[in-house]
This record gives sequence, structure tokens and C-alpha cells, in this order.
Amino acid sequence: MALLKASDLVKRFGNANAVKGINFHIEEGRCVSLLGPNGAGKTTTLKMLSGLLEPTSGSIDFKGKKAKDLRPFIGYLPQYPAFYNWMSGKEFLVFAGQLAKLNRKEAEKRSEELLERVSLTNAKKRKIAGYSGGMKQRLGLAQALIHRPQLLILDEPVSALDPLGRREVLDMMREIKEETTILFSTHVLHDAEEISDDILIMHAGEIAISGSLESVMEAYRQPILQIEFESQAADWLKSIASYSFVSEVSIQGNKANIVLGDMVNGKQTLLKDIVDRKLPVRKFEISQTTLEDLFMKVVKA
Amino acid sequence: MTQWTVLYRKEMTEMMRNYKMIWIPIVFILLGVMQPVSSYYMPEILDTFGGLPDGTILEMPTPTGTEVLMNVLSNYGMLGVLILVLSAMGVVSAERQSGVAGMVMIRAVPYSSYILSKWAGLLTITLISLFIGYAAAWYYTGLLIETVAFERIFQSVVIYSIWLVFVVTLTLLFSTIMKGNGSVAFVSIFVVFAISTVTSILGKYMKWSPATMTEHTGQVLLSGELDSSFLLAFITTIAIIIFLLILSIQIFKHKELLE
Ligand SMILES: Nc1ncnc2c1ncn2[C@@H]1O[C@H](COP(=O)(O)OP(=O)(O)OP(=O)(O)O)[C@@H](O)[C@H]1O
Ligand SMILES: [Mg+2]
Repeated sequence: MALLKASDLVKRFGNANAVKGINFHIEEGRCVSLLGPNGAGKTTTLKMLSGLLEPTSGSIDFKGKKAKDLRPFIGYLPQYPAFYNWMSGKEFLVFAGQLAKLNRKEAEKRSEELLERVSLTNAKKRKIAGYSGGMKQRLGLAQALIHRPQLLILDEPVSALDPLGRREVLDMMREIKEETTILFSTHVLHDAEEISDDILIMHAGEIAISGSLESVMEAYRQPILQIEFESQAADWLKSIASYSFVSEVSIQGNKANIVLGDMVNGKQTLLKDIVDRKLPVRKFEISQTTLEDLFMKVVKA
Repeated sequence: MTQWTVLYRKEMTEMMRNYKMIWIPIVFILLGVMQPVSSYYMPEILDTFGGLPDGTILEMPTPTGTEVLMNVLSNYGMLGVLILVLSAMGVVSAERQSGVAGMVMIRAVPYSSYILSKWAGLLTITLISLFIGYAAAWYYTGLLIETVAFERIFQSVVIYSIWLVFVVTLTLLFSTIMKGNGSVAFVSIFVVFAISTVTSILGKYMKWSPATMTEHTGQVLLSGELDSSFLLAFITTIAIIIFLLILSIQIFKHKELLE
């Protein structure tokens, strides 16, 4: 049974449609990533699920029942988390825990556990005002987990972090997903590929593609040829578009990605061409389209 | 512990940490003590700094104790109100601006608990400041000028506190409606000023106005008797305060809390 199911969810701001009637569901125990370019409607969607924003129309079911207030079951990390900067990290967690109806003792205990888990134990007594961006993000993660939510919703949990901070948060998410269902938005495709089980790609307020990561990759995967030259070879690259087995050529500087209809024939012909013309080739590789290629295709369509 | 209690305790802790709990009562104490002290020393002050020509005979009647205390309250009505509004202006707006209000509301907190915890915090600081400051004024008036009956002091401060509670409740409403701290303070002060002015000009038709609380306070101080229109004013003021709170909660409910 789906943990959460959104039906015909619409959000209108004035006369702008931020979310245009989307349908999806989240299975229990999965880690789902919500992908999309800036302004796709990711934050708007997540806020509606977490009860911070009233949908214009549509419904949200939680565990098969129409949901009234999901907030007790959901842990939410906003895109730009904010804190009481005069509190210490520990104080804020205890405060959040008590608001989530833990008693003082439980809140203290759970806060210590989570501080340990997000490696803030050493900084727990310091004022949040003095925390770095990465530390605040980890504190945000901890406050979202304080009441052991059944669904953890993270809005761009790693976008604002440096590579090291990103690594840390991703590792934490990998641990958390063992026990909690996660829905997170990102535009870093590599992260989605790395830790999610299912993906939802949003574009302009609609869900363009959804499914398990493997099935989506399987369905949309195409063999491609990647050629890299020592200098520009644009003339030849343009000319090959006329071959019947070439379905798409995209050129970026000295590199080109070529989608081939018939890999076996195509690669022979192109390789022969290169040799005949003595083109200065550096790399000639057969690979598969990535999530990024798929994403670009959806967004540009 | 209920969510309201957690939020209220957070308000109190915050006011301790940013010293509001200390400096606002100190301002009220200073405003309260200054009046009897300056009345007492006025002849000497004039003597020293006045530079009056020799032989001028100063006819300075020493004010009575109740007059001094009425001056104290009129100081509270100006500077006291200003300080309270300035300290309360960010109570909701600052938390909305930083986004931390959203972090609180994520936790399934009723909108009313949030607003009412804010209100209770404002009430606490207002009443503590007023009572301590006024008690200090009473003590020094008794010491330097004359003793005023405790009963009158008590009645007058209770009536006056209703006016200040109205002022901070109004500030809370504007802090919920608007985002900029400056505009919250400006509009609150303006409205308080407008209500006071209209009430004193159209006294006859404004017997119900919250601003008449200041007049009733003076009345009690002077005569120890309550004017017959007090009950009407009291009931409407309480009703307006309740209405302002309900309005604040409703408006807060419809604000977007996370950017
Ligand atoms: N409060 C609002 N009022 C008006 N329009 C809004 C509001 N919030 C969002 N929008 C609009 O809705 C659309 C979707 O915004 P949303 O923040 O959901 O995008 P997003 O996918 O989260 O983008 P990003 O990656 O930049 O965070 C945007 O066009 C945005 O301008
Ligand atoms: Mg967003």
C-alpha cells in the first residue's frame, strides 16, 4: 500500500499555476527524489504535502486515508531552514521535540542521539548563530527527525553545501533511509542517481516522468557514442547528421554525444570516416545516456 | 507540557537572553522615580541652574502625591508606550521574516497557541514593567512628598494596565499583518495616538473607548471613586482585545510561513 498518494494536486498563486494537477504515490520504505529545474514547482509540492500550504484543489491520502493534518507524521526540512539563533543546537532540538509532544526527558534523550548522529555533539552547547551553513543543514535534518516521522521530506538538502558537506548529508540520508521513507527534492542529478529508489521528474508544474530509478533508466536508456577531438571537428560532426543511423548529435566544444539508431553499423562507419579523414581523435567511447541526458531532454522539450 | 507552555517558556527565555526582561522594567522604574525626585528637588535645581536674578520670588507650589503619580502615568503613556511598542514590534513579523515561524508551525502547533503564547509573553513583560515601575514611583513619592493610599495606587495601576495591554495587543496584530518592523511600530504608534486624540476630542461620544482607561486611572487616583462610565469602557476594551486576538490568529493562519 502506498504510504502517501497525491491526486490531482493543484496550486495556483494568483493566476499563475505553480503545480498543475499532479498525481503520484510514495511507497513505504522507498527513497524518492523529486527532480526539476528552478521554478518547476518542487518546493510548492513539498509544502502542500507537509501541510504548510493549502492545495488549491486535489487531495492527499496518507496510508489510504484522506489526510487532514499530516504534520505529526512528517519530518520536514525546508529549503532555507531557520532557527532561533540565540539558542544552542541542543536547546533548539529539545524545543522542537517538546513541540512535537515528546516530554522533556524523551526530548533530551532523542536530541542527544540525533546530535551524535549528525555529528554536532561537540557544537551542541554553542549558539546556532555561530554555526556554519553545513552545520545548520545537519541541525535541520536532526530537527526533522526528532519525533521519528514516518515520512521525511527534505527540500534541496544538499544544494547549498560544499562537496564535503554534501557527502556528509548524503551519507546520513543513506543511513536514515534504512528506517524511514524519504522524499527529497534536488537538482543535483548525481545525488538522485546515487541514493534514490524512485524518481519523479517535474517540469513547469507537471510530472513528466516517474517510476523506479532502474525502470526509468531502462526505459529511456539509449546507447550513445562519445567522441572527443584534440581540436574542433564541427564540420564533420555536422555532416554525419545525414547518415540514416544517426538520430541525434550534440556538440560541446571538442566533445560530441551521438545517439545512434544502429550501434553496430554506425560505430564502424564513423570510425572509418575518422581514420579516412585523419581527424585528430582523442577519445572514442560507447556508453549509455545518463539521468542528466534524460533530464535535459524533458526540460528542453 | 502543552505546546502553548513550551512556546511561552521560549518567549520568556528569549526575553531573558536579550535582556528585554531587564531593561524595560528599568526604563519604567526610571520614568517612575524621576517624577517624584525632580518635583522634590525642583526649587534647588532652579536655584542652581536657573540663573534667575537675585530677589525673584519663586511661587512653586509643591505638587501633591497624586499629582506626581498622575505625571508618572502620563510619562508611561508617552515614553512607556513607545518603548513597549518598539520592543513588541518584531514579535511575529521578525519570526516570519527569518522563517523560523515556519519551523515552529511544521510541528502541528495550533495557530492560536502560537499567537496566544506571544500575547502572554507581551503581557508578562508589560505588567511586570508597569507594576515594578509604578511601585517604585509610589515608594519615592511617599518618601519625598507624601504618602498616597495603597488602595488608590492598586486600583489605578490595574485600570491603567488594561490600556497598556490594549496597546501591546494592537502591536501584536500589526506585527502579524506586516513584515517590516519599522512599519509595524509606526502604524501601531499612529493608531494608539489617533485613538487617544479622538477620544479626548470627542469625549462625549467615546465613553466606550479603550483610551478612556487613562482618564479613569486619573479619576481613581484623585478621588478614589470610579466614574459610572467605567463599566462600559471596561467591557468594550476587553471585547476589543479579544477581537484583536481572534483577528491576529485568523490572519496568521492565512500567511505563508516559509519562503
Ligand atoms: N508565494 C508565491 N507566490 C507567487 N508565486 C509563487 C509563490 N511560491 C512559488 N511561486 C511560483 O511557483 C513556481 C514554482 O515555485 P517553486 O518554489 O515550487 O519551484 P522549485 O521547483 O522549488 O524551484 P527551485 O529549484 O528554484 O527551488 C515558480 O514559478 C514561482 O515563481
Ligand atoms: Mg524550491
